[in-house]
Amino acid sequence: MKRQSITIAILALILPALLRGLWYYRGIPERSEIATPDYASFERPAPIINTPDTENIEQVGGTVVIDGYHANQFTINEIEALTAALRARGGNIETAADSLTLEILLKTASAFVSVSPSATFTQYETQLLKSFTERGGRILVFTDATRNALYFDYISGNPIAYGDANGANSLLKHFDISVNNDYLYNTEKNEGNFRNVIFDDFGKNELTFGLDEVAFYGSRSIKTDSGLLLLQGADTNLSSLDDAHDPNAGGAVLSADGTVAAFGDFTFLSAPYSAYTDNAALIQNLADFALSGSQQPSLELFPYIFTSNSVQVFVSPELEKDPSMVTALGGLQSSLRYLNLDLQFVDEVPSTGDAILIGSFDATEDFEDFLLKADVEIGDEAISTVAFGDVTKPGNGLVIFEPGKKGNTLLLLAGSPEDVIAMIGAASYGSLGTCLTSEQVAVCSVGTSDDYYYEDTSSDTVDETSTESADQSAEPTPEATPTPSG
Amino acid sequence: MSEADQRWERVRNILLWLAIPLIIGALAASAVPQPVVGVIRLEDAIYTYSAQNTIKQIQYAIDHPEVRAVVLVMDSPGGTVVDTESIYMELTRLREKKPVVTVVNGMAASGGYYLSVNTDYIYAKPTSLVGNIGVIGYLPPAPFVIEDIITTGPYKLWGAPRDSDMRQIEMIKQGFFEAVKLGRGDKLTGKDSVTFSGQIWSGIDGLQLGIIDEFGTENDGAKKAAELAKVANYKVLDLSVPAGADLYGYYFFMADADGVTLPYPKEAGVYMLYIPPLPVK
Repeated sequence: MKRQSITIAILALILPALLRGLWYYRGIPERSEIATPDYASFERPAPIINTPDTENIEQVGGTVVIDGYHANQFTINEIEALTAALRARGGNIETAADSLTLEILLKTASAFVSVSPSATFTQYETQLLKSFTERGGRILVFTDATRNALYFDYISGNPIAYGDANGANSLLKHFDISVNNDYLYNTEKNEGNFRNVIFDDFGKNELTFGLDEVAFYGSRSIKTDSGLLLLQGADTNLSSLDDAHDPNAGGAVLSADGTVAAFGDFTFLSAPYSAYTDNAALIQNLADFALSGSQQPSLELFPYIFTSNSVQVFVSPELEKDPSMVTALGGLQSSLRYLNLDLQFVDEVPSTGDAILIGSFDATEDFEDFLLKADVEIGDEAISTVAFGDVTKPGNGLVIFEPGKKGNTLLLLAGSPEDVIAMIGAASYGSLGTCLTSEQVAVCSVGTSDDYYYEDTSSDTVDETSTESADQSAEPTPEATPTPSG
Repeated sequence: MSEADQRWERVRNILLWLAIPLIIGALAASAVPQPVVGVIRLEDAIYTYSAQNTIKQIQYAIDHPEVRAVVLVMDSPGGTVVDTESIYMELTRLREKKPVVTVVNGMAASGGYYLSVNTDYIYAKPTSLVGNIGVIGYLPPAPFVIEDIITTGPYKLWGAPRDSDMRQIEMIKQGFFEAVKLGRGDKLTGKDSVTFSGQIWSGIDGLQLGIIDEFGTENDGAKKAAELAKVANYKVLDLSVPAGADLYGYYFFMADADGVTLPYPKEAGVYMLYIPPLPVK
C-alpha cells in the first residue's frame, strides 16, 4: 500500500512537468554538422606570364601616327607596350592633332593607330585613310569596353554609357568591319575575372603567328563579313548584348585586303596585362604589322616623295639664275629643310639618288627619258598627257614624278623663266592642291602666259562713257558698309 | 476505526500522496520553459554596427536554451564582406544547435543572401528580391608617390596592385559560390552560369531556380522554425530587446547634397552588396 502511494506521489510529482513538456516539446531535433566553405583552400587565380624573345629585332623603321583628336579615351602610357615594340623596331611615333596634321603625317606613315575613339571620323578623314590603305598603309583600331563616358538621362536620371563603338565604326564600316557596343565575358574559363576573356582559336595570319592563348580585359566583340576573324574563343565566351556566343564575332578582325586590323580591347597593351598569356607575342606581331605598311611613292604624297635626306637639284642651263630664280630656289631650299632634306645643286642630270630637275619646255633634251616614261608629249601649242589629255602650254607648268630603285626624281617644267619660278614656288609651298594630279604627272596653272588674260580691246573704242568709267575706276566711290544699327 | 476516521484517512492519503505532489509537481513544471522562437531582424545593410547587433542576438539565442529556433527576418542588400562573413560564422555556430529559418521581406541580396543560405529554410514574398550572388570591389588607382606622404612600401598607401586586387576579389567570390552550393545543395535547379551570374531575382524566379524554398511570411517562418525544432505552443520573441541590441547605427550609404541616400557605400572597399540603379529623379 505504501509503495503504491509512493508511486502515485512520484507520478503526481512528475505529471505536470511531463504534461507541460509534452505540451511544448514534440521530440528532439536532429542537428547535423553544418558544412561551410573551406576558405583556406581558396587561391587567387594566377596569371600565366610569358616573355617574348625581343632579341634580334629587325630595324625596319617607319612612322606610326597615333590618333589624338577623336576624343580618344586613353593616355599614351596605356599603350606603352605597343609603342615600345614600335620603337624597338626603329619606329617613330607621331600624334595627329587635327585632320590637317593627319593628312600631312599620313604621307610618310606606315600605320595609323586609333585607340578608343569616341568621336566619329568625318567623311574627309575616312577618305584620307582609305587612300592611305590603298597606297599600302596600315590601320589599327583599338576599342575598349571599359572606356565609357557616363551621362545621366534628364528624365529618368539613369546613367547612360557612351563608348567608343560609334566612333570606331564610323571609320571601320568603310572596311567592312563593325564593333559591337557590348563586352565579352566568360564565367567558366577566364583570366582572373569573368570579363577577362581568353582567345585560343586564331585566324591564320601574321598577326596571330606563334600564339596559343591571349587574354583581353574588357573586350568588345568585333565582326567582319568579308575579312578574317583573328581572335575567337570558346563557346562560353558570351556577348553582353544577348548573353550568347556568336561564332562570327571575336576579339579582333582583319579587313579583307589585310590593311586594317580592329581590336576589341587595348588594356592588354598596358602593364601588367601585356605580359600575361601570349599578349606580349601578339604585341610584337602588332608592331611588325604596323611597320610593314609601306606606301607606293606618288605625287599624292608630295612633298614626301624622296627616299633620302639629300636631294640633288639640276637647273637646266638655259634658265639663268637671275635674282628672281635665286630667290625661288632659296625658297625651295628653305621649305625642304623643314622636311629635313638638304639640297645639292648639280650641273648635270644625276643618274642616282633623289633629284629635282628644273627646266623649260623649250629645252627638254635632258628630260626626254622622263617625258617618255610618263607618256607626256610636249608639242608646240599643247602638252599631251594620258591622264588629262591635251592641256595648253602657255600658262601651265608640268610636274613629273619618276620613282626609281636608285632614287626618286621630280621634274618641274614650264614655258618661260617666270613660269618656271612660279612652279618652283608651288613646289616650295609643299602642296599641289591646285594642280591636276595623277600618280606621276601634275599640270599646274602658273598663270603668266600672254594668253592667260583676255585681250582688252576697250582702249580702241574710247568714248565718253568709257572715260567716265575710267574716271570712276580711278576714284572709286566707297560702298556703304551696313552696320548693326542699320 | 470509525467511518469518519477512515474518510479522513483517505483524504489525508490523497492529499499526502497525490495532491501535494501534484501541486509541487505543477510548481516544479513551471521550470520547464515555454519554447521560444527567436526573431532576429536584419533590415539594414551589413556593416559593423548591424553585424554586431545581429551577432549579439545570435549569441543570445545560442546561450538561452528556451530559444529553440530562430527566424532571421531579412531585408538587406548585403554589405561589407568581412561583416557578412562574421555573421555567417556565428550563424553556423547557432545552426549546429538550433534550426534557423530565413524570411525575406524586401530583399536578401548579395551578402544578405549569403547569410540566408546558411539557414535551414528560406521563405520570401513573390516580389521579394533575392540573389545577386557575387562580390563587388573598387580597384585602387595605379600607384604614385605624393610629396607630403611618406610610406614604407610601394603599396602602403594603395593597399595592393590593381591586378592583385582583382584576383583577390575573385578569390572572395569562390567563398560565396561555395557557401551557396553548400547551403542550397540539390535545391538549386538553375545552371551555374545563371545562378552565379549576379542577377537579382524576384521571389517567383527565385522559387523556380531553387534560390528560395517557399513563399511565406514571418508567421510561416516561425511555424517552420518550430516544426524543425520540434516544439509547439511556442512564444515568438524579438531577440533584439533581451539581447540588448543597439539598433542605432551610422549611415552606411552615401547621401547627396540634398540628403537623399544613394545606393553607394560611403567607403571604397570590397562588398557583397546589391547596388540598384539610381532612383527616378
